[in-house]
Amino acid sequence: MIQQRPGMFRPALIGGIAAGVLTAVPLVNCLCCLWIIGGAMLAAYLFSKDSPTSLTPGDGAVLGILTGIVAAVTDSIVSLPFETMNREFVQRFMDQFSQFVKEMPSGWERWLDERAGGMSPAWFFLGLLATAVIYAAFGILGGVIGASIFGRKKILPPQGTP
Amino acid sequence: MLAPYLRSRSSPWAALAYAFYKPLCHQVASRSLHCFGHPLAVCARCTGIYLGFLLGLGLYPFLRGWRQLRLPSGRVFFIVSTPIMVDTAANFLRLWQTSNAVRLASGVIWGTILPFYFITGLADLLISREKKRLKSLPRSP
Repeated sequence: MIQQRPGMFRPALIGGIAAGVLTAVPLVNCLCCLWIIGGAMLAAYLFSKDSPTSLTPGDGAVLGILTGIVAAVTDSIVSLPFETMNREFVQRFMDQFSQFVKEMPSGWERWLDERAGGMSPAWFFLGLLATAVIYAAFGILGGVIGASIFGRKKILPPQGTP
Repeated sequence: MLAPYLRSRSSPWAALAYAFYKPLCHQVASRSLHCFGHPLAVCARCTGIYLGFLLGLGLYPFLRGWRQLRLPSGRVFFIVSTPIMVDTAANFLRLWQTSNAVRLASGVIWGTILPFYFITGLADLLISREKKRLKSLPRSP
């Protein structure tokens, strides 16, 4: 009986969402690109768990690319509320700061207004595209590392052979 | 190097150069190496990883050659990863605070092994796709 290999999308989705959230959340994101590599390793582990055959480095690379793309989308979405929170925090801080300081640096109100406007959809999608390419490259690393650690399976002889 | 250089020249492109690396690194100035009076676009550890990656790329043909597609063993990966894992965890848990030089060094050590995965993975992917493509071609009689 030939055992079918599981699909790659589900493990990539789980690994990508985990990596994307951890990359976006302030304080936890201090591990930089390591979360993307870790997410792709998780995807490789989940895939190899259900796969009857060994994972090749190429399988790991594909899993990593998918994980990186999912992580980029997740990161872009999860980052949005944090950016708004940051802007509100800076606004409040500058308002209070201006009460204690006689002369504020020139142009700070214009700078705040520019920041309050947020980014345009075009910039958002351009940023998302660039992030997806970069995360996919890091995902390849994580996927292949995961394939080398979790992907090796011992080939058992078929049952019933003498 | 480009980002701090542009910032030192008060170029408006500096913001774009820093923004490019923003998704990849926390960019905390105190944890970054400085150049032209401004921090690099990535922290000292990430700088080390990129430098290590370049070093690994240079070493790859001498250690593996171009005809072998073999991944490093899991044991080698864990040995090489130990310095960066221990130092990062200890810094995060505030057990100790290392200097940027130590962060750079741990990054270089870890980054050196990465091309051995990256090149092997990409090469295997391209070769397997090419094999599939050749298989799917109709055979001439």
